Amino acid sequence: MSHVVAERTNALNKGAGPLSYIRRGGALVSLLPLIPFLAFIGYFLAFPLAFIVRDSFLDNDKHFTLHNFALCFQGVYGHSFLVSVRLSVISAFIGAVAGAFIAHSIMRTGQRTRRAVAATSSVLANTGGVPLAFMFIASFGAQGLVTKLLKFLGWDLYGGSFTLFSAAGVTFVYCFFQIPLMVLIFSPALENMKPEWREASDSLGGTPFTYFRRIAIPVLFPAFLSTSLLLFANAFSAYATARAMTSGTLPLMPLLIGNLVDGNVIANEKHLGHALAVCMIGVSVIVMTIYALVLRYSKVKK
Amino acid sequence: MSNQHGISVNLQGVTKTYGTVVALNNFNLDIAPGELVALLGPSGCGKTTALRILAGLDTQHSGQILVDGKDIVGVPANKRNMGMVFQAYSLFPTMTVLENIAYGMRVRHISKEKQVARANELLELVGLQETGKRLSHQLSGGQQQRVALARALAIEPSVLLLDEPLSALDAQVRTQLRDEIKRIQTEVGTTTLFVTHDQEEAMAIADRVGVMRHGVLEQCASPQAVYLNPINVSVAKFVGAMNLLPAVVTTNNELEIYGQSVGWRNPDGLTARSGRALVRPEQLLLGSPTTDRPANAIVTNQTFLGPLTRISAKVMSDGNTLHVEMPSIEASDYPIGKNVVVTIQATSVLLDA
Amino acid sequence: MKRRLSAGNYLVLLCAFAFFVVPMIAAIEFSLRGDQGTTHGLSNYRWILAQEGFGANLFTSARLAAITAILVLLLMVPTIVYLHLGGARWKRIIEFICLVPLVVPVISYAMGVATAMPIFLQSTVYELSFLYVIVTMPYTYRALDVGLSSIPLLTLVEASKSAGATMRQTLVLVVMPSIRSAINGAIFLSVALALGEFTLAVLLHWDTFPTWINNVAQSNVLGAVSLSVFSLVGAWLVVLVVAVGPKSKHSDQNQEA
Repeated sequence: MSHVVAERTNALNKGAGPLSYIRRGGALVSLLPLIPFLAFIGYFLAFPLAFIVRDSFLDNDKHFTLHNFALCFQGVYGHSFLVSVRLSVISAFIGAVAGAFIAHSIMRTGQRTRRAVAATSSVLANTGGVPLAFMFIASFGAQGLVTKLLKFLGWDLYGGSFTLFSAAGVTFVYCFFQIPLMVLIFSPALENMKPEWREASDSLGGTPFTYFRRIAIPVLFPAFLSTSLLLFANAFSAYATARAMTSGTLPLMPLLIGNLVDGNVIANEKHLGHALAVCMIGVSVIVMTIYALVLRYSKVKK
Repeated sequence: MSNQHGISVNLQGVTKTYGTVVALNNFNLDIAPGELVALLGPSGCGKTTALRILAGLDTQHSGQILVDGKDIVGVPANKRNMGMVFQAYSLFPTMTVLENIAYGMRVRHISKEKQVARANELLELVGLQETGKRLSHQLSGGQQQRVALARALAIEPSVLLLDEPLSALDAQVRTQLRDEIKRIQTEVGTTTLFVTHDQEEAMAIADRVGVMRHGVLEQCASPQAVYLNPINVSVAKFVGAMNLLPAVVTTNNELEIYGQSVGWRNPDGLTARSGRALVRPEQLLLGSPTTDRPANAIVTNQTFLGPLTRISAKVMSDGNTLHVEMPSIEASDYPIGKNVVVTIQATSVLLDA
Repeated sequence: MKRRLSAGNYLVLLCAFAFFVVPMIAAIEFSLRGDQGTTHGLSNYRWILAQEGFGANLFTSARLAAITAILVLLLMVPTIVYLHLGGARWKRIIEFICLVPLVVPVISYAMGVATAMPIFLQSTVYELSFLYVIVTMPYTYRALDVGLSSIPLLTLVEASKSAGATMRQTLVLVVMPSIRSAINGAIFLSVALALGEFTLAVLLHWDTFPTWINNVAQSNVLGAVSLSVFSLVGAWLVVLVVAVGPKSKHSDQNQEA
């Protein structure tokens, strides 16, 4: 496919084809058809982002300051940052490991089963949000069927300090969309494992363990690592589920920012919200950059 | 480095079914030490199954597999010491070319220096000295298959197994690599089983060609024998082009085809007295018609094939179209529209009832 | 060839099944409980339907979804088609721009929108569509780009032009039909997002179906659970039917070479 694209681009560069007039005026003219898109992006994406980045460096008197960012890592905000990171790491780890096992087991089932699982995963991974929160409240809440069932079996879920509305509870609920997301993204990597590799390894004298260690892990590791990073970013920025479950009381970065957006802003915290939002973007950019680098430098090419 | 003596392989009464599909039905094959046997047949005939059972990648339901006289049934694939080359995509993508070739030695805990030395030796054997540090996706399809061959040979296998190794390549690379595989196999002397659906490839590379159909080995003989003396109608039809000419068995047990008497064989034990005779295009000659004979025909088409030209001629008496092959320099005598007479120059044709 | 499942595989699949299905069943049971928790019935579902705002908010979300899908097509299809033709030199940078929403957490984006354009967003709820176009852009771009890469676009456009069609006619009559599945994918993605989006809607103080569920929950948890079950199971069934559909001729065949 790529050579077809290359040929097409070549043809265009030589000025062949009916669309060559578009380029005759040079780079600026060739931007003209992109104006609607660029205008849309400019107004609805670049403008708001530039706005919060600018405001995050301003104090209440519109003077430049770094104080807002210093506040981000202190007190309740610093604590929420840690809680958010921890929650995201744990839920990404559980999601990645469990999802990888499930994806591996599903590989061996029939095509229709695999398609049903893929469809289910895409629903669970994407439509989490508010319904997911209530589903868990219904099943694991104090009056939930699962809670009652476990109690009947002798395990009082609420006997200790557990509540669904704590960081641990939210981590548990996040797994409900983290695992399907892993299954969804990791399955194609598993499908790309050629049966010939296993057979070649066997016929060359390799044991199942050598195959796993020398071939399967090196091939799959980049996909596993990059997907884990994606899961981290996903949990880190999740808002709807946590808010619906805890009404915004848990010290999580997104919930704190949400409270600040929602109004009730104490005057001197106005720009702190912007700084927090920028920090969130910063963490996300770092994680996604590593994600892109892992994929680029992985030896396995499609 | 070469494995001068080679090792014999015998498959005896091997049967394998997938559900209700019989992949191998009481399959027998003997390969002499150092010999290259090609299994040839349409897809689904069981040739790949035979190879995979020999490799230990599939298990048969019954039958014996002897390598060097010893039964290896129950020996797992990774203990059979067989080098296998797959159709494509079998190189480990995270390893360099050298690491791929050394893999079999690495799992055998051979010293690092020996691994590198032998891997380089094999790389030279397949003509890829320059590529040792590359990854598989940086190689062309033909190069990948050369590396796969080197990797299979690196373990000094008792048997080399080639599972349609050329079918994913371009036509030109295919012939080139085919000749190279033959050269290397002759050089190292490893007993080899080669599976293909391409008859030209099988003929060109093999010491003996085994023609398979429906899980049975129908004939296993030299390429010449399979082509010139096919053992039955199905082998004859599968290998090479054939004309099917209406024929009747005469009272003195010859075949009468378009008024000509031709000698025939009856390996299938036919009792029918008429049918269609199988005659190769080069067994037909064209000449100028003299009288009104049943073999009179008119040239309808010419296809230039390089050294040979295939001429299509429509027989006047029954409207059948025959294909005749002749040297191209003679073909200009038979332009389209010319009236000709067809002569059959064969002594032992087969009859398909 | 289909390999057999090992005991370990079954164990993993069983655990996964339990983890995902048990909460669903428990939620369904919960949603069917009566007032005192002693009886079961459809009373909660009847209660939902009787609530003020159920139909109106569902309708609002449906309209939002439709407007979002239309905006996505109007904006993205001509842009990406152009990137595959005369504007190829801009493809990499536009591709990068389209990925930016992926690294901006929606909560940060909400903050930016709320402070940068407070006036704009107060006239009508449907202005949320513009923001949804941005949020879905990484996915819709990819779907359409893959679709356009899989057809001989330049040849089709040249053929259409030489037959006398204008660029708009070419887009509507030739290009869009030939990437129908990619367009369906883009529509599906934007509709799914618009129907379920909560963060932007709630923080910008608009009422949509998801925020309405959240409000209902304040007064009646049973009702909120019923609504959640209704929307999750509904979405799941729709996607399942679309993805698995009737048994296709080519599925479940063991091939042997």
